[in-house]
Amino acid sequence: MTEFLSYAIPGLPYGCVFALMAVGLVLTYQTSGVFNLAYGAQAYTSALIFYVCVNAGWPTWAAFLAAVVVVAPLLGLAMDRFLYRFIRSAPVLVKLVSALGMLIAIPSMLQLVFGNQQRLAPPSLWLPPGSVYFHVAGDAINGTELSTVIVTLAVVLLLSLMSHFTQIGLRMRAMAESPRMVQLAGVNSERVGVAIWVLSSFLAGLAGVLLAPLFADLQALNFTDLLVAAIAAAALGSLTSLPLAFWGGIGLGVVQELLGGYLPSGTVLSSGLRPALPFIVLLGLLLALPGLRERWFHTDPLAGCDPPPPPIAATIGGYGLQGLMRVGGWVVLAVFFVSCLTWMPANWTFTLTQGLAFSIVFLSIVLLTGMSGQISLCQASFAGIGAFTCAQLATHFGISVLLGILAGGAVAALVGVVVALPALRLGGLALALATLAFGLLADNIGFQYSWSGNGVSGVSIPRPQLGSLSFASGKAFFVLAFVALIACAGVVFAIRRGTTGRELAAMRGSELAAASIGVNLAKLKISVFAVAAALAGVGGALYGSLQGTVSPNDFNSLLSLVFMVVVVTTGVYSVEGAIEAGMAYVILYQVLDYLPSQWRNLFPILFGLGAVTYALHPEGIVEWQKRRVIERVSAWRKLPQVVG
Amino acid sequence: MALLEATGISKRFGGIVALDDVSVVIDPGEAVGLVGPNGAGKTTLFDCINGVRHFDAGEIRFEGRRIDRLAVYERARLGIGRTFQRLELFAGMSPRDHLMVAERVHRADGRFWKDLIGRGRAESTVARVEELLVELRLSDVADDPIESLSQGHGRLVELGRALVQDPRLLLLDEPSSGLDTRETASFASVLLEVRANRRTAMLLVEHDLDLVRRVVERTYVLDFGKLIASGIVDEVLAEPGVRRAYLGDLT
Repeated sequence: MTEFLSYAIPGLPYGCVFALMAVGLVLTYQTSGVFNLAYGAQAYTSALIFYVCVNAGWPTWAAFLAAVVVVAPLLGLAMDRFLYRFIRSAPVLVKLVSALGMLIAIPSMLQLVFGNQQRLAPPSLWLPPGSVYFHVAGDAINGTELSTVIVTLAVVLLLSLMSHFTQIGLRMRAMAESPRMVQLAGVNSERVGVAIWVLSSFLAGLAGVLLAPLFADLQALNFTDLLVAAIAAAALGSLTSLPLAFWGGIGLGVVQELLGGYLPSGTVLSSGLRPALPFIVLLGLLLALPGLRERWFHTDPLAGCDPPPPPIAATIGGYGLQGLMRVGGWVVLAVFFVSCLTWMPANWTFTLTQGLAFSIVFLSIVLLTGMSGQISLCQASFAGIGAFTCAQLATHFGISVLLGILAGGAVAALVGVVVALPALRLGGLALALATLAFGLLADNIGFQYSWSGNGVSGVSIPRPQLGSLSFASGKAFFVLAFVALIACAGVVFAIRRGTTGRELAAMRGSELAAASIGVNLAKLKISVFAVAAALAGVGGALYGSLQGTVSPNDFNSLLSLVFMVVVVTTGVYSVEGAIEAGMAYVILYQVLDYLPSQWRNLFPILFGLGAVTYALHPEGIVEWQKRRVIERVSAWRKLPQVVG
Repeated sequence: MALLEATGISKRFGGIVALDDVSVVIDPGEAVGLVGPNGAGKTTLFDCINGVRHFDAGEIRFEGRRIDRLAVYERARLGIGRTFQRLELFAGMSPRDHLMVAERVHRADGRFWKDLIGRGRAESTVARVEELLVELRLSDVADDPIESLSQGHGRLVELGRALVQDPRLLLLDEPSSGLDTRETASFASVLLEVRANRRTAMLLVEHDLDLVRRVVERTYVLDFGKLIASGIVDEVLAEPGVRRAYLGDLT
């Protein structure tokens, strides 16, 4: 018992932070229908500002006021007023991508302003971290742990008193039922909504400031993991119950520490399972609770009065536009190909070859999300599976790298089928979160073994060789990657133009109606997941062979989010969109490399904010601009005819 | 042999009994109505027949074959087509695309590998789709985005999408809901034409009793999940029990 307690008690502070976040998450999800994935970034913002203020010599209380009472609610309010308010009734993909954009952009903006440096020993909010207050079951309870637990309990107590005994609390609870009905009852629901955002952002800020000192240094990544833990806790409360979400958070923190205590130390499982627990819980809950799956489609009982979402302009498109773009596209492609083989400097050829590999990975997102409406947040993991398979086959079994690249695609496809099996029953946000959890599992456990990604040290992939033909030189490899991209793009084009493409479009439009006309959704989803995973795998393996050495960090789950955001920004509905995304991704990165290191933060900021525009231009910024240009050109060409 | 034989269907949602021992028989080529007040279980029965919902007790036979365990798409391929009370259209696709995809799925020439080698398209599809567009008077809007069409056109597109598959049984779920009188009248005349041209069996859920009278031969009446009457439309509607269900107790 003493042993149990000595493992369990250090989990309480973590549990408290998870619980605060979970409560805030459920609060906004219930009342606004937006699943705020940027919540982790909000927590990070407050933690960072608190750190900066304290280090600038401010008293702790002033830093707390600035970070948690002023900045946190303002940030939440800004996000609601300028973004979420407009997309409450938008499709899941729009809400998700906008929130993802914020999740990626906000930490980078902060680092652009406050600098990239490592921030060691984040300050404690209240009691000094160094002093030990008392011992429970052999655990020394220090100031950080004690203050985290006390502050959390106090806040939660206040919160429940407010929700049951005040006017605004009553209105908030009514809002959770239906904002429109609250409005019909004569309540200014916008004002209540503002109050809820302020409150939940305050909770995020508080959780951020409380969490920071539990780690050795302040890193944005810790807050993404915190977010997933909070989502898992919220899922334990079926996304509706605040008390259950709260206790779910506490439980998760405690079980995590228990696992760390009881598992044999020194193995990948023990070091990986503990941080991976929230993802496992989340994945398990999504698969096991049928009620929960439906709850991810949070709908207002009066949602029927919302107008239908606007059509996607790119898929309707003018025929003139498509014809002209096709010719233009081929010309650009030819110029690009010849340039890379002739005058392009070697480092730029290398960069552009990377772009080709990324384009292949991004094709998988076009196929899966753009064409089929399935949101997968683990495409980087599939790319990793492809790369590591190729590497292991080449180094340990002496199999030719070219075959290895294909095998990488095949293994990724197999894993894709395994991931697709739960996806058959999940959809929308639930699928997105399940794939995110899968990606984090791959990060923490799957890629850590020596037979897969080999942890931090990574694995090496030689350049391919075909008979006497070597692809070792930069230009030769460029040609290989170019041919591979054309082949992969051809596959996606063929699928799109054939019956399968139409079936996918039907499935994206309405799964119910697609099944009712005889579309086998299960088979279709499995096939499309497999093909998409294979594309990502091939792209990943090519990328690995280009780099020479790859480690799990090259394919971490955060990259999956960035990939999604990048593709959605340029154009997720077209094959060209994937190629534009791949090129934009590497070119921007290379250009920013010439600037001082701090400016590299511009990269996630640009794409993060770009993703926010998805709500306005679902066809993608590049596709939208192309349309505008063509419309202008055609208007200008028609002008003489009108006059004449 | 009856085309559709649903026997003793029961379905509960928690404490609510949505369907209580409901039995329905439809012969080949027969048009049958299904009327009843809101919440009577009409759409639930549809969902059970086409497989969107599982039911708790009873069995369903289609052309003598048990279909309870078949998936929605398998029942569709056997020849059960349906429309939806709340339109379920494919966003971003034109009416022509709607019919095209249904036709291709029906012909089952959508093999994945055929697409990959670019042989997944058949020319005869186009002609059939064009014919149907004319029959449903959708030619003018055939290439417009579906979001820009009226509810009335949406209903016709759903009808066409079901018809292009040559169903033997067509389940129509309140086709007149959300339509004005003119649109309803034109939908009715299209429906009658379709009836005259192809003798597809139909089960029609409808509140517009005029439409029901014009299209169907006999009707079932559902109330609170129970079948309370069946027979010729006017006779059934005159029964006191049915009047009470629809209009409430007048005494």
